[in-house]
Amino acid sequence: MQPRYFATFYLNYKNMKRIIGFKKILGFFSAMPALGWLFGFFSAVIIEYLIGNNIAWLLGLPKIPVLFGFLIMLKKPLLIPGALAYIIIVYLLPLTLTARFFSGKINKLAAKLYKLPPPVYTVFYLIFLYIIIDIWAGMSDYRIVTLKLTFIAIILTLSLNVINGYMGEFSCSHTGFMALGAYFASTVTLILFTNDKLFGEALLPSYLAPFLFPIALIIGGIAAALGSLLVAIPSFRTRGDYLAIISLAFMFIVKSLIENLEVLGGARGMGGQHPLANLPTVFIWTILSIWIINNFVTSIIGKATNAVRDNETAANAMTINTRRTKIVTFMFAAFWAGVAGGLFAHVLCYVNPGTFGIKKLAEIFTMVYFGGLNSIVGSIIGAVAFNLASEALRPLELFKWIIIPVIMILIMIYRPTGLVAFKEFDIKKILAPKGDK
Amino acid sequence: MKKLSLILTAIFFTLFALSSSGWCWGKKKIIKIGINAPITGDIPKVGENTKNTAKMWLEDIEKAGGIEIAGKKYPVELVIEDNEAQAESAVKVNTKMITEDEVITVIGPQSSKQAIPAGGVADSYATPMISPWSTNPDTTKDRPYVFRGCFLDPFQGPMLANFVKEEFGFTKAAVLYDVASDYPKGLAEYFKQAWEKNNGEGSVVSYESFTTKDADFSSQLTKIINSGAEVLFVPQYYNEVALIVKQARELGWKKPILGSDSWGSSETITLCGSDCYGAFFSTHYASAGAEGITKEFIDRYKKKYSYVPDDVCALTWDSLKLAQKAIEALVEFSGDIKKDRENVKKNLAEIANFEGVTGNMSFTPDGDPVKCAIIVKISDAGEFRFYKSVCP
Repeated sequence: MQPRYFATFYLNYKNMKRIIGFKKILGFFSAMPALGWLFGFFSAVIIEYLIGNNIAWLLGLPKIPVLFGFLIMLKKPLLIPGALAYIIIVYLLPLTLTARFFSGKINKLAAKLYKLPPPVYTVFYLIFLYIIIDIWAGMSDYRIVTLKLTFIAIILTLSLNVINGYMGEFSCSHTGFMALGAYFASTVTLILFTNDKLFGEALLPSYLAPFLFPIALIIGGIAAALGSLLVAIPSFRTRGDYLAIISLAFMFIVKSLIENLEVLGGARGMGGQHPLANLPTVFIWTILSIWIINNFVTSIIGKATNAVRDNETAANAMTINTRRTKIVTFMFAAFWAGVAGGLFAHVLCYVNPGTFGIKKLAEIFTMVYFGGLNSIVGSIIGAVAFNLASEALRPLELFKWIIIPVIMILIMIYRPTGLVAFKEFDIKKILAPKGDK
Repeated sequence: MKKLSLILTAIFFTLFALSSSGWCWGKKKIIKIGINAPITGDIPKVGENTKNTAKMWLEDIEKAGGIEIAGKKYPVELVIEDNEAQAESAVKVNTKMITEDEVITVIGPQSSKQAIPAGGVADSYATPMISPWSTNPDTTKDRPYVFRGCFLDPFQGPMLANFVKEEFGFTKAAVLYDVASDYPKGLAEYFKQAWEKNNGEGSVVSYESFTTKDADFSSQLTKIINSGAEVLFVPQYYNEVALIVKQARELGWKKPILGSDSWGSSETITLCGSDCYGAFFSTHYASAGAEGITKEFIDRYKKKYSYVPDDVCALTWDSLKLAQKAIEALVEFSGDIKKDRENVKKNLAEIANFEGVTGNMSFTPDGDPVKCAIIVKISDAGEFRFYKSVCP
């Protein structure tokens, strides 16, 4: 672009910003603390819950736009104005109004909360967040399924980031860990609570299932962690491409093993699980995984993984036990992948070895590298963005598989390490009140 | 500069007003039917065929002015969604169609991998679902709301074994199948059981397997040829069929080759060419030499999309017709979706002697159809010729 044109363009852009008042709006959004966002979304969700249907009807929409109007817009372009108006009225308006008029008061409240001990206010925020999510998802079962699978994707992405981002090994075995977790957890719940043809009569009454489900998940996680030793031990002597090949082999071994085990249903898969992974369960496990993984990567061993990534020999010289670091990190990450697999199996109520193939692996990689290496926030953003985009673009069919890769290529060109890479996740900083301006 | 914001607002409202045709105020009651198809992913051809067939069906309905229930015509809308040939996507899509779009019945998903979990969703929301192509017994087992359009593997395997015995009187068979894919594996097992029941233990002289995406079968085929088998059974999909049959001919296999309903795609001949001529396979319908409504269907489809419809098309067509019949048999279209779904399910279960392009069928209490299978011989012109019909 010629400089002259660029100047006019830039001036126009500046003017437009003034006209629409972007600066002003952005100004008061930046003064809003996390609590303010929660309040904004809370009011939005309450509005949608109470009069969402009426607003949708007034705007000529058949129903509440379920995923922020994307699906409606892509399926029926004629309804785009109505869907946009709905988003503005129901989501943007309450958010802006809260930001404009209540920022000060909410800031004071946030400051008061901030004086409490961190665990107390964090739990308060989480409960508030869950209430919002629950009301929002309660309006449509489709939202619940999408959210559940998104949360599971967050756990998977985080756990892969521990190996690929924090430790810098390129591991391709994640779907293998996930399969181990899914099959072990399913086997436990099927033996205990389901009458089926693989394992016979249920041993326990099914009302106990929700209470023992965490144990099944942990068993799945432990199985995955033990399985990960098969990749962790070779990783002492191999790095880079070679480890990638070993881990890929591990994934195929797991897949073939399950395909050939008639006890587990073989290639036909294993079905009949109770739908135990409901929204609160998945939410709690996701929060747990974020919390524990964040503690892990900021702990001494977490720093050791970074040292191993940057220079293994130097790390060894600095008295870091690199072998122990690798084993612990692999097992830790695999544990969470196993838990995610267990949850996945109980959302779908069916698993089959074909699900845990290269395609799933590519999906997890996309989420990790899109969101950003070595970053908790990045992984969360990557998982949520990929899942929402993939759901929202579904009506485009084949073009979806052109748009998503193009976005990925652009990210790799302009931000090679991902959107939010190498950032520390500090809950205190996120929840802090904003200074008065 | 206030002008600009005014203009923007004006554009917005004009668009809003223009979009009135999309509004849903005062709209008539619509019958919505969901299509859960693998349009992208591993088997896009299946998805495309499903979609094309559904569109052809909708054309018919629109020509007739809608589906008639108790003397009144209601317009029909198809909700076509892509399940990417993945289980979790099929679950999401089914949930969306049932809870958001409020479809009265779901057609699809086609392959068992997606149909089993999606069937669970449909059953838990008490919505009738017909999977045209899924042959795994688990899809409909203990699920009163889930039906299927095709015969099952426990029928197809023994039927093929009996056919060979009656037709040729062979006693030694070889099987080559994909151990990692549920459909070939299940079928291979049923065939082996039935064959050994007919001809005694060890009469399946060679039972060889491979894994999905293998491309070289020479070691398995050499074993098979050396085993002295008289017939080779290959229950594989069209892309693998071409590779296996070609390699078998190159290694000198001259005896008959037997296939299953997964051979029925038009791609089989395109990929396999003259090596497949003379082979037999069982299927839902034969496109060459068809008569009556089957011929009518084939001709129409060929004219519209310029290729011969395969079994996916025919089964999807029949499933749609079954759904249509069940909806037409409603006493009234109440608009209360739960009640209507319940009644549609009841009507579906009661359908007897339905005349479809893949033959006559009735539903068992499990939601599986009782229908005849057809043995097809691939002619020297590469056509699927009707050879024999086998009924249960």
